[in-house]
Amino acid sequence: MENQNQDPFGMMAMVNAWMKPFSSLWDGMTGDGGSSPEPSTDTASGPQGKGPNRSQAAMAASLKNWQAMAKAMASPESVKALLKGSTEMPDVMLKLAQTGVSSLATLQENLIKSAGRLGKSVEAYRFEDIDENICRLWTDIYEKEFRRFFQIPQLGLLREYQEKANHLVDQYNLLQSQIAEFVRMLGLPFNHSMQVMQERLGEMAEQGKLSDDSHEYYKMWIKVLEGHFMTLFQTPEYVDTLNRTISAMADFAAARDAVFEDVFSLLPVAKKSEVDDMARDLFELKKRLKKLEKEKAHLAARKAAEVGA
Amino acid sequence: MAHVKIPVDLILTQMADSAEKAKSRAQKASEVLLGELDTDLAKTPYEVVYQEDRVKLKHYLPRTEIRYKTPLLVVYALINRETMLDLQPGRSVVERFLDAGIDLYMVDWGYPTRKDRFLGFDDHINGYMDDVVDVIRDRNAVEAVNLMGICMGGTFSVIYSALHPEKIKNLVTTVTPTNFDTKKGLLHVWMEHIDVDHVVDTFGNLPADVMNLGFLLLNPARLMIDKYVGFMENMDNKTFVENFVRMDKWIFDSPDLPGEVFRQFVKDCYQGNKLLKNELVVGGQRVDLNRLTMPLLNIYGKYDHLVPPEACEKLTAHVGSKDTEDLCLDTGHIGIYVSSKYQEAFAPKIAKWLMERDGKPRQASVTRKADTAVSAAVVKKITPKKRAGTRQSSKTTETETFQADTADRAPVTGTAR
Repeated sequence: MENQNQDPFGMMAMVNAWMKPFSSLWDGMTGDGGSSPEPSTDTASGPQGKGPNRSQAAMAASLKNWQAMAKAMASPESVKALLKGSTEMPDVMLKLAQTGVSSLATLQENLIKSAGRLGKSVEAYRFEDIDENICRLWTDIYEKEFRRFFQIPQLGLLREYQEKANHLVDQYNLLQSQIAEFVRMLGLPFNHSMQVMQERLGEMAEQGKLSDDSHEYYKMWIKVLEGHFMTLFQTPEYVDTLNRTISAMADFAAARDAVFEDVFSLLPVAKKSEVDDMARDLFELKKRLKKLEKEKAHLAARKAAEVGA
Repeated sequence: MAHVKIPVDLILTQMADSAEKAKSRAQKASEVLLGELDTDLAKTPYEVVYQEDRVKLKHYLPRTEIRYKTPLLVVYALINRETMLDLQPGRSVVERFLDAGIDLYMVDWGYPTRKDRFLGFDDHINGYMDDVVDVIRDRNAVEAVNLMGICMGGTFSVIYSALHPEKIKNLVTTVTPTNFDTKKGLLHVWMEHIDVDHVVDTFGNLPADVMNLGFLLLNPARLMIDKYVGFMENMDNKTFVENFVRMDKWIFDSPDLPGEVFRQFVKDCYQGNKLLKNELVVGGQRVDLNRLTMPLLNIYGKYDHLVPPEACEKLTAHVGSKDTEDLCLDTGHIGIYVSSKYQEAFAPKIAKWLMERDGKPRQASVTRKADTAVSAAVVKKITPKKRAGTRQSSKTTETETFQADTADRAPVTGTAR
């Protein structure tokens, strides 16, 4: 019963069943039935009987190592340790899932709050709910919770490349959430203008002033919409979102360029930074040359004037 | 609740009629759109008399006898192209200047590439502009030229005139931002906190598409919806379609903006407002507006949402010239140049103003009265302007406001700039 609790999915039996033939395979490869850890002198001898062939000896030693390792892994203690590690994996997965679920809960909570305000009267050219931004909330959650996974330290030879790739994915995600926030904000005037139009039409209907020309309603709506945009564009929230979107674009472009610089270094083409360096050199040279030319012309003119005098 | 009567029957009848009209319009529109359309811009003949890197100097071929001793150099902004001044025959500021007998030159800034990202104010103003002015001075054998700047080109012209006053006889600024300390224009609001270093360091030049998107976002209701609704409603009208396409071509014919120019424009102008404070430094030299002593005509649009009057009107009070004039037109940023009505008020006014000063010695102080007959099409209202500072008593500047039909306020085919 206790064993069943420790290994509810029968992992131990499965691993044992696989380890046995795995170990036997190495026995067969080394050709000694697995009894002797020493290399066979037969296999190590050269064809002319001049002593063991070096490559054959190396191969035999390597096979023996694999064999020893397979046997060690097949021991009950090793299998137990391996399975212990495997039971730890779901903990990491659980952590990830917890982050996701708690974020979704926060999002849902805010959505419910927003829904509670539905149907409220809308005053023209005012944006009381401008900060009720579900996209901003998602960006915040991403920045606090999910971003960490792209910032896990990378190791080894390819560390720098992997870090750049992770950074690019991170910046892409940030850009997407920032664009979503910006677009959501640009959608506000449409919602508001529609609601204002409904109220105006209601008033007109009550007064019996409804027009039979549909074009008039369009003109009225576009004017209201224009007014809402103008109001929105001057709000600090819009300016802040616009600036953050522009920064996110620049951040993403910089991250993308960094990855492409690495890619281009493998190809026979100039990198952007190299072209920029050349352009700067050219710019400075031309400027100096132009200055010298002007000085030369000035000196020549002065000399000519002196000669003339 | 009161009984509400909604004329559903009438609305439905109207909609049915509209559907019929739309069908017939679509049939005619297909003929128009599939037929030959004349949508070319900038047809007035010119020759390129000087070129340096991507920058060209255009010299327009005279259409009549040259009546001015001093040639006129027009400097457009680095944003969009100078072709706006020559949209089509019959609707062209260039044509009007030529017909007035002006010897006309214009700078074509070309299309900056990545190698131009390091070119800043100094390279454009003390470099290209100064070389171009010298070329004209040599060609026409004159000591100084007349300079007209448009939008950012106007800001460049103001800076140039302050740094090289000896080479400029008269200065005309149109829709030129010089005071950046205002919240009236959306660009002023948006540029206040932008992290320009980050943008320029990453992108190099400011991409034209990003700029265009920004301009469209200045008024999305008109520029992204109403403009195209208008097109759909008139697409059976060949002339309308031609004008619309021509304008659309111009709007989206945008060069990238050199990165260092953008950086300096945002940091020193929009965020620092250094020009009016005489704190701007270009090429190691401080730009002192008191050195701007030549006659100055400052024109701007009352309904300009890009460069609002508040951004333009302070210039005349800060320069050293005693002959200054403000002219405020009841139109938007580009309505001045592309609307036939405002061209009638604007181009002849400049021609007349220049002619009055053409024979006079350079940098002369002139005391004059405001014009009384600019155009029969507009009703003029003269409002004496209050002047700030001690220079007020020494000047006779007046502000003229032209009030015209407000129906023409909206830019032609709803453009942003």
